[in-house]
Amino acid sequence: MTTTYRVDLDAFSRNLHRVRAAIAPAAHMLVVKDDAYAHGLEPLVSRAFDEGVRWFGAFDVATGAAVRAVVGPEARIFVWLIGGAEDLAAGVAADLDLGIGDEALLDDLAGLSEPAGVARIHLKIDTGLHRNGIRPERWDEALARTAELVAQGRGVLEGIWSHISEASDADDDDARAVFLAGRDAARAAGLAPRFSHLAASAAGFARGEFREDLVRVGAFSYGIRPAGGPGEDDLGIEPIATLVATVTAVDAAGVHLDLGSLHGLPSTLAGRFDVDTPAGPRRVEAIAPASLSVAPWPEAAPGDEVVVFGRGARNSATDLAELIDTIGEEIALRVSPTVPRRYLSA
Amino acid sequence: MTSTLPARAPGAGGVAPVALLSAEALRANAAHASAASGSNALAADAWGHGAEWVASVIAEMGGDAATLDPAALYGLPGAHTRPVMSLRGRALGTKPLLRGEGVSYGYTHRAPHDTTVALVTGGYAQGVVRSLGNRATVSIDGRRHRIVGRVAMDVSVVDVGEAPIARGAEVVFFGDPALGHPSLEEWTDATGLMAAEIVAAVGSRAERSVIA
Repeated sequence: MTTTYRVDLDAFSRNLHRVRAAIAPAAHMLVVKDDAYAHGLEPLVSRAFDEGVRWFGAFDVATGAAVRAVVGPEARIFVWLIGGAEDLAAGVAADLDLGIGDEALLDDLAGLSEPAGVARIHLKIDTGLHRNGIRPERWDEALARTAELVAQGRGVLEGIWSHISEASDADDDDARAVFLAGRDAARAAGLAPRFSHLAASAAGFARGEFREDLVRVGAFSYGIRPAGGPGEDDLGIEPIATLVATVTAVDAAGVHLDLGSLHGLPSTLAGRFDVDTPAGPRRVEAIAPASLSVAPWPEAAPGDEVVVFGRGARNSATDLAELIDTIGEEIALRVSPTVPRRYLSA
Repeated sequence: MTSTLPARAPGAGGVAPVALLSAEALRANAAHASAASGSNALAADAWGHGAEWVASVIAEMGGDAATLDPAALYGLPGAHTRPVMSLRGRALGTKPLLRGEGVSYGYTHRAPHDTTVALVTGGYAQGVVRSLGNRATVSIDGRRHRIVGRVAMDVSVVDVGEAPIARGAEVVFFGDPALGHPSLEEWTDATGLMAAEIVAAVGSRAERSVIA
């Protein structure tokens, strides 16, 4: 198959500069989990490092270690879902910043027999999302436990952080109040976290008081705007990736492309969006497992390329997402790793 | 510059959900699968099952996977064969969720009474469709528990009620209904997606592991 996912690294760089300007003086932690949102970890991390990004959000220890292999010792790499003692030890060994949102991991850290270094702990307070994060009523106990680890030379409290729900500004204000109280408590306990981080893309751009020291931005870096929110132009970002398919056959039923739902285009989009053709927009009428059918246009021929979504297309990932009540990230993340990535740069 | 991505970070064993693949089911299904009509069972890395593995198992039986009906071969709903793939996450921990408290982005779920929730590995980046939040159940220790709130990119939250859940407990997102696992059919009903695209996404992004 010749369907490709084209990633414009120059557009990515422009987004990185835009993010940096929008969140200054906070620093940009570029979130690169899940293969850099399925754009390809190594090329994007490498380019971001060249553009001056020095914080990477890698999610898990395995990805963190992969980022470390790309960027070397200078960058800070934050991971925040840790599976247990063994995973934790691997994270210390890879010189990662460790997001800890579960008291059991503090016990794991206390129990490591021969840690490779001092753990840089970012303690997470649950400010309402109720995923990981330590509940406020248990926070003081977790701080006391952390202070013991610091006194033993096993860790340093490097950061305090949380995730917010973005359910409403009022809900996020409530979450921030819990967060600030948690930080005050840490300071009162004699711990001095250097970094506070609370916001991701949306709040990082829209709400200055949420920026603190670091803003964890994934989606906007890749040019993915929020569903139901401001447009790319308003945000100053641009989509960086394009899904391009190739015409394989033309018949009475339409024009058939070498891309299907198995490659990650949700079948629920069939009949709901158009693609550009030399004769104007045409509807995507059917999405089969390994092929897609578009309403016919004159002179369509096998080998022709059709831009399905993304940069330069009629629809961005988020435009398609809104048609099926989801978010652009899910559309981007479903693009199968079996579709070859091609990287463009001037 | 051209690059074909690896399916997943090597050794993402810590918190990566696992797509378990049953060689026994694949062999049993191959014996019953009729000739393919249309789709190639080896397309898109064998519908997420791993083309190299599928082709070699069928070749050992003297067959050619590309000629078999994919739905029957992989045991998708309606084919009346055994599901080959099962998606497994882990419960990393549990915590109280008090009456009125929200869960995950947008607080689409609020607890009607005090309960306990488990943080489970597996989100829409691994093919756990985002719209399954508040609609689907998972199986832990043989009991069903509902996914509450929005499925996030890499994790889900499950309301486990009074059930004791050990740290690290296995969570079955879907598997073989004959074993009491949630069926893929529950996912197609809840999402409107086809079973084929669900297994293709899961198998290409979760960590694949073959069992005999």
